[in-house]
Order: sequence, then C-alpha cells, then structure tokens
Amino acid sequence: MKTNLSVPIVIVLAFIFLSSCVKDTDFDEADAILLTPVVELDLIYFNLTASDFFDSSTSNPRLTVRDTTELPFLDDGFVQDGLKKADFLFKFTNGIPRRFDVDFQFLDEENTETYSTQTNVDQGTPQNPQPTDFTQTVEGDDLIELTKASKVVISVTIASSDENLEGELNLKSKTTYYLEL
Amino acid sequence: MKNLLICFVVLWAGELLSQNKQVLYGLEEVPQNLLLNPGSKVPQKYHIGIPFLSQIHINGGASGVSVYDIFGKSNVDINTRIRNKIFEMDEKDFFTLNQQLDIVNFGWLAKNDIYFSGGMYQELDFITYFPRDLAILAWEGNQNYLDYPFDLGQVSTTGEVLSVFHFGANKKLNDNLTVGIRAKLYSSLIHFQSINNSGTFTTRESTNGINIYEHEFQNVDVSVQTSGYASLRDADGSSEVISEILGRTFFGGNLGLGVDLGATYDIGRYWTVSGSVLDLGAVFHTNGVENYESKGDHIVNGIELIFPPLEDGEPTFPYFSNVVDEFEDKVGVDTLQTSYTQLRPLKVNGALEYRFGQQLGSGDACDCYNMGGGIETGQSVGLQVFSVFRPKGPQLAGTLFYYRRLWNFLSAKATYTVDPYSNSNIGLGMVADLGKFNFYLAADNLLLYGNIAKAKSVSLQLGINIKIYEQ
Repeated sequence: MKTNLSVPIVIVLAFIFLSSCVKDTDFDEADAILLTPVVELDLIYFNLTASDFFDSSTSNPRLTVRDTTELPFLDDGFVQDGLKKADFLFKFTNGIPRRFDVDFQFLDEENTETYSTQTNVDQGTPQNPQPTDFTQTVEGDDLIELTKASKVVISVTIASSDENLEGELNLKSKTTYYLEL
Repeated sequence: MKNLLICFVVLWAGELLSQNKQVLYGLEEVPQNLLLNPGSKVPQKYHIGIPFLSQIHINGGASGVSVYDIFGKSNVDINTRIRNKIFEMDEKDFFTLNQQLDIVNFGWLAKNDIYFSGGMYQELDFITYFPRDLAILAWEGNQNYLDYPFDLGQVSTTGEVLSVFHFGANKKLNDNLTVGIRAKLYSSLIHFQSINNSGTFTTRESTNGINIYEHEFQNVDVSVQTSGYASLRDADGSSEVISEILGRTFFGGNLGLGVDLGATYDIGRYWTVSGSVLDLGAVFHTNGVENYESKGDHIVNGIELIFPPLEDGEPTFPYFSNVVDEFEDKVGVDTLQTSYTQLRPLKVNGALEYRFGQQLGSGDACDCYNMGGGIETGQSVGLQVFSVFRPKGPQLAGTLFYYRRLWNFLSAKATYTVDPYSNSNIGLGMVADLGKFNFYLAADNLLLYGNIAKAKSVSLQLGINIKIYEQ
C-alpha cells in the first residue's frame, strides 16, 4: 500500500517541479505600457494697478510693463520626452478702463524666442471689472519649440495712460499638461 | 530558452509572499526545522549541512495581483488591465520577497543531552505595500481628482539584506516536553524603511482667490531611513562595493541581537502541540546611516509676478527659485544621520498534530522509560498557524497538513494553506535520508506550477545535510 501510493507521489512531484513554467503570457506587452497622466498645475498670477502704468517721477506714461520668470522644468528632458500637449488658461479680470495687449514670449537659455502667443484684454471699470479668458493649446511642432524654452517674458501693454487712471488688472493662470510616460 | 529564463526569473525574483515555511515546519527529519522551532524534537545525534546547500529558501508573493493578471494573453489592452488592477487593489495589498541561504549549519547532541546547533545564513527580506493613491496620481494625474486628498501615508516599505550568526540549544526536559532557544547576531549589509508616514496632497479650486487652483500639502510627515546605502553609493567601482559588502557580512555591518524560542509538548500518545517565536530582536543602525525626512504643511499657488521697475539689463526676481525654496523650506527633504533601531519582522508559528496509523519500530510506546510521551507513527494530520508582523500589522496564514512516512528513508507532507494571497494553496514536501545524506524539497502553490504566472505567491525550500543518528 505504501509503495503503491508513494511511487505516484514521487512521479507527480517530480513532474510538477520539472514542468513548472510560465504560460499564456506576453512579456513583450511591457513595451506597450503607457502612463497617461493629465496634470493640472497653477502657473503665474499677478495684480497690476493703474499706477503701475504711469511713472510719477517723470510724469510720463509707462505703456508697457514687463516681467520674466524662469520655468526650468519646460526644457527638462523628462518634459521634452513625455509632454504631448499643454493647455494654457489665462483668466484676466480688468478693472482699468483701458484695453491691454499681453504678450507671452518663451525664451531658451540664450534668450532666443522659441514660442510666443498673445491676447487682448477687454477694458472694464473699477466698479465693474471685466473678465477675459484666453486659452491656448500647444501641441505638435509648437510644443517642440515650447519645450526648448526655460523662461517666459510677460509684457503687458496699455493703450494709453495718465495719472488719474484707476483700477486693477488681475491675472490667474494654469496649465494642463498631458503626459505620456 | 526565453521561457526558461522567464521561469527562472519569475521563480527567483518575481514571486513573493510572507515568510511562511508551512511545509517544512514540524518536519523533524530536516535539521533546518530547528530554525523554525528551536524546541522541535531532534531525532539525530549530529548533523552538518553541506555548505551553501543546506537550505535554499525563496518565498515571494503579491496579495492583489499575479504576473498573469498583467501579462496574461488577453484581448483587453494592457494599460486597461493595469488601470483596473490599480483600482481593484487597496493600500493593504503588498508585494513581498524573502530569501534565505544557509552558509553553514551544524548540530550535535552533547553529553548532557542538549542538542546544540548553530551556523550562519544570509537573508534578504523585502515588503512594500501598494501606495494606491500615488499609483492613481502617477497613472491618471490630478485632473479628475480635484478636491481628492491623495494619501502620502500609503507609502510603506522595508527591505534588508543581512547575515545571521546563530547558536541554539535544544533539550528534551521530560517525556512530554522539548524546549529550545536560539541566540542570533545580525550583521546588516543594507537596510531601508519608510514606515509610519502620513500626509495628503490635494489640488482644489482656490479658496483664497490667489490663483485658479491651490495645491495643498497637509500634515506631511514622510521619512525614509537607510543604512549601508550611502557608503555604497559613494564607493568607487564594483571591487570596492564587493569588498565593502563582504566586510559587512562578517560582523562589519550594523549589528543586532535576537532570539528564537520554541517548545513541543506531547499530550498523551497521539497529540502534540508546538509553537515558536522567531526573530524577536532588533538591529541597531549606527554606521552609514542616511535618513530623509519631510515634515510640514504648505500650499502652492503658482508664481506671482510683481513687475518691478528695472533698468536695462537688470535681472528681475528669481520667482521660480523662490517658489521652490519656499517649498523646500516648508516641506522639503532634510537629510539626517540619526541612528535608528529596526525591529526584525517577528514570526510566530503554532501547530497541533494528531498521529495515527502504524506505530513505527523506534516508537517508545513499549518503552518503560516513556510512559507518558508521544509515540511515533507513520501518519499524522494537523493544523498550523503562522504570523509575521509587518509594518501595517500581522499577516496570518492557516494550514492543514497530512504527513506520511512512506518508507523508512522517505517522508512526505502535504499542506493546504489559506493566507492573504489565496485560499487554494496546496504545498508538498519530501525528505529522503539516503545513507547519511539528507535531502529535502518543499514547495507550495503546486496547483499553479503548471503556470507560475497565475500564482500570487510561491514558497520553495530545498537543501542537503549529512545526518548521523547513532554515535
């Protein structure tokens, strides 16, 4: 009885160990694994007052104000490889009774422009600020140029200005990054 | 050849679960059984393990997913399969790997009837819990999860490689009771842990009107302790790394102390209970320690421009760097060299055995000196429990077993185990004594050996010893 049982057990055990394997799998599919996160991040914001557009020391209008910030992640290899699309949303609220032109100039390390976009902001009043939303989708060749940049210059140009001008121009912005990793 | 390689890799590294050696536990024919219960009965007078071959143990598992779940042939896109798994698993799911290699193992029955045993083995132990929220964040991003607090506390992982020097004593106190104790000296080669973390990351529409969103890091307390890593990172070339690791293997690492305790008690002639507590101890990490810690709260609103009046060529403020600096100041990662103590993963075994069948010749039933002790028979059945204490609590396994002495030289044990991985885990072990040579082989999840990819865990032990029963 013992012998009858044990021989099959030994054979079965040996067979199981020797035949153990990985079947019905396709590890080449690992190449097809693609992470596609969509990331929402704040970008820049500012509050400009009407007085920023008038130089009281010289009593001259200052029609264009300009500022720059680094965006060092833009030309990072990770972003250059993984970013497939970027949606910018700029939300202006204008309480100054003037129209504005706003330019966004993206520059690389050598301060060469790689990408730019611009928009107009409707005029409002201090009592009744006007919202202007500007969206810009960047993909394809434009995106390649955008991700060569590492900083952005924002130029805000007022149509005209004087010392009695009142109100505020406010900007909020965000970017939606569509990644493929 | 490719399939063979995959088989090997999957067996060796891809397969993971607790440190349960349910097939080997209680198999008195295997001297390494003493490493599972230092208070086991010891039938032999001497044993010596064949160096490097006396015990090879691999055990791995993933509680929520198998290789087949992801890479199995299917009409469903692999990314959909992964996404489904991410949402199906929770933060209590885990991946583990435990491997032990006996370098030296020996034992002898001294004149005072104490069976002394000792040796050295190398162990690798790794567990990581599934950080579900971070997986979702990486896989999907935050766009569809506004207002959702991603839990940073789900990060929980430990890993170590160490060598263990051990020496134990085992004595049969009376006809019924055998007890044993084993002292252990740990020499840690490398260790890391990131446990007891907390904190959340939330993106929501701005509540203070500063910008469109606010990205909040709240109650962040995340840390990683490492030892033995910094010096390897700084080592110059592979030869320096190898000599450094060899040095640590032999007492050159961070040292620790531990103890194993165990006992076996015969209740009458046919029933036996046994139990053990293993690795009750700690490693004290004082050398080569590098810890990383992030603590605090912070809200990111983006980059504020203030349009300062500038002369030509005058640079503006480093807005972005300021945002980064503020972030690092509030919730940035500090590097510390604080010593820390690491508890070893405590393991507990327990078993109840009932023996039946033909009484064996060497049994003590007719022995007037053993009126109350158990007798040896050809078969037994029983119940075992196992628990290993992990960062998020104990992991439990229950096992039913059937043992049979097939011939004098060959024994087998079959097990059925229920654990976090599955409730259909069949294991089988065989021990053969051929002359003075003792061979054993034990494995579980045999139902899935036909396709290991479907197994969520695999445990395998094998080894060769020389055993001598008579002086």
